Amino acid sequence: MSSRPDAPAESGTPRESGAPVTPGESGTSVAPADSAVPGGTEVPAVHLDEVEHVYAGAGGPVAALGPISLTVPPGTFLVLVGASGCGKSTLLRLIAGFEKPTSGTVRTGGAEPVPGRGAGIVFQQPRLFPWKTVGGNVELALRYAGVPRAERARRVPELLERVGLHDVAERRIWQISGGQQQRVAIARALAGDDPLLLLDEPFAALDALTRERLQEDLRRVSARTGRTSVFVTHSVEEAVFLGSRVVVLTRRPGRVALDLEVDLPRTGVEPDELRALPEYAALRAEIGHAVRAAAA
Amino acid sequence: MTSSLSRSVPAARPSDAVPASPPPADGPRTGTPPARRGRRLRRTGVRVLSLLALLGLWQLAAVAADNPSFVPAPRAVWDQLVLLSTTHDGVRGYGGHLLVEHLGISLRRILIGSALGVAAGLVLGVVLGVVPWIRLVAEPVVTFVRALPPLAYFSLLIIWFGIDETPKLWLLAVAALPPVAVATAAAVHGAPTGLVEAARALGASRWDVIKDVVLPSALPEIFTGVRLAVGVAYSSVVAAETVNGVPGIGGMVRDAQRYLQTDVVVLGLLAIGLSGLLIDGLLRAAETRLIPWRGRA
Repeated sequence: MSSRPDAPAESGTPRESGAPVTPGESGTSVAPADSAVPGGTEVPAVHLDEVEHVYAGAGGPVAALGPISLTVPPGTFLVLVGASGCGKSTLLRLIAGFEKPTSGTVRTGGAEPVPGRGAGIVFQQPRLFPWKTVGGNVELALRYAGVPRAERARRVPELLERVGLHDVAERRIWQISGGQQQRVAIARALAGDDPLLLLDEPFAALDALTRERLQEDLRRVSARTGRTSVFVTHSVEEAVFLGSRVVVLTRRPGRVALDLEVDLPRTGVEPDELRALPEYAALRAEIGHAVRAAAA
Repeated sequence: MTSSLSRSVPAARPSDAVPASPPPADGPRTGTPPARRGRRLRRTGVRVLSLLALLGLWQLAAVAADNPSFVPAPRAVWDQLVLLSTTHDGVRGYGGHLLVEHLGISLRRILIGSALGVAAGLVLGVVLGVVPWIRLVAEPVVTFVRALPPLAYFSLLIIWFGIDETPKLWLLAVAALPPVAVATAAAVHGAPTGLVEAARALGASRWDVIKDVVLPSALPEIFTGVRLAVGVAYSSVVAAETVNGVPGIGGMVRDAQRYLQTDVVVLGLLAIGLSGLLIDGLLRAAETRLIPWRGRA
């Protein structure tokens, strides 16, 4: 299990790209997996320790992932980038608790992940329930989160507004556009107020213009709520724009090829200004290079 | 009179032709409301015409056969309709009951029997779809019952439950159960994993997933199963009414057959078929109301 020479995967902490990171976040040594609060330090929002995943393919077992170690402090917007088939979606499913790793440990908020507990998930397809109205979909999520009925009625429009939707609560799913559907899916994932938000290429199926607008809105929403997010994509542009930390995965079995702290302003800057920054272009070039190298 | 009529015909024709050949720019499916209305009008017209043609053929056959006991004329059947719907010479309808009463009692049996069968089939279907080992054991049994003609197990039901209402309702329920069970089981088993996963990701319990995702997503197929079940119950009602079936439309048909009242037999068949059409239409209307997402997701 020799890792690539350029991969700082052993430590599980990111390399800094510019300004110093908040002290106590990246310098923390890897905590034992089952101890929740090691003396005074924050519990990492996501913690992966030597995680490997092998699945049964048609021609025998296929090593999809790892070994991979990562520690994600709370408040991070982590973007996992890599070519298709690098196991990034598998990694997200492991963090979501839909699958168990073949070896190694996965912890979210210090505990073993269970679907529906502690993490909201946005999939590539909106996966909305067509038998419910737009508002009904969000309402259902609130109900599952244990929000009392009276409060749900108040919070549905609130959540929809938060993702930039107005006056669509009564609509049917097929009466709104694909971009709007994905917004509803994000509102639904935010409904539980979970500390973690997992997004699996949520904008991949949208047209370029809609995708850009949703990226901008997601960046704004995430900066405001400050919740930890793990975002999977194959788009370098998306990674630089959204991430506060970008991890590039190698091709199968996916390992960490590059782990980079993104030091771009999270608030108070217009998207176009941000994209025009020289640091932005430099990061994009660096990550783009790493993705191409990792896929080769 | 005739001249004004013949003169109005060419005038009417161009306006007729407009909806008949919609401009291709409009698209054949997304026509404007007037075009759609025109299409519906044309469809109704075709149906009425074909019905009239059928009546004509029937009349021809009756004349050709020249034997009312073999092929009764439409007129004779109509007379029976009038006769059976009134009290004549102190006799009320057929066997003491009006035609609508015979039909009503049969419909009541179909309604109760298929309601019981649908309810049981729904529960069984969900269990079959959710619990693999029960499916393994019970699926062949359901298929077995489905393959049996209702008359075959009717004898057994009579031995068990006598000759009154009970065995009839049982027969219809047993006949209606398999289509619903099979459709429900298949739909529940094939529930879209993406949606199930989405619900689980939101924190839905196992029961929540069944109630809020699996059942609604199965609803379109379940509804098809229900329509099939009602159809099966319909075709079984005549079998159910072979024993002590009067009042009842099936019993009436059977009695009429014994006395070679062919016109009454035909009338009974028409009553069963037409009410069946009506009920299927109602079910379809209910379907579009209850499942507006059908074909859209």
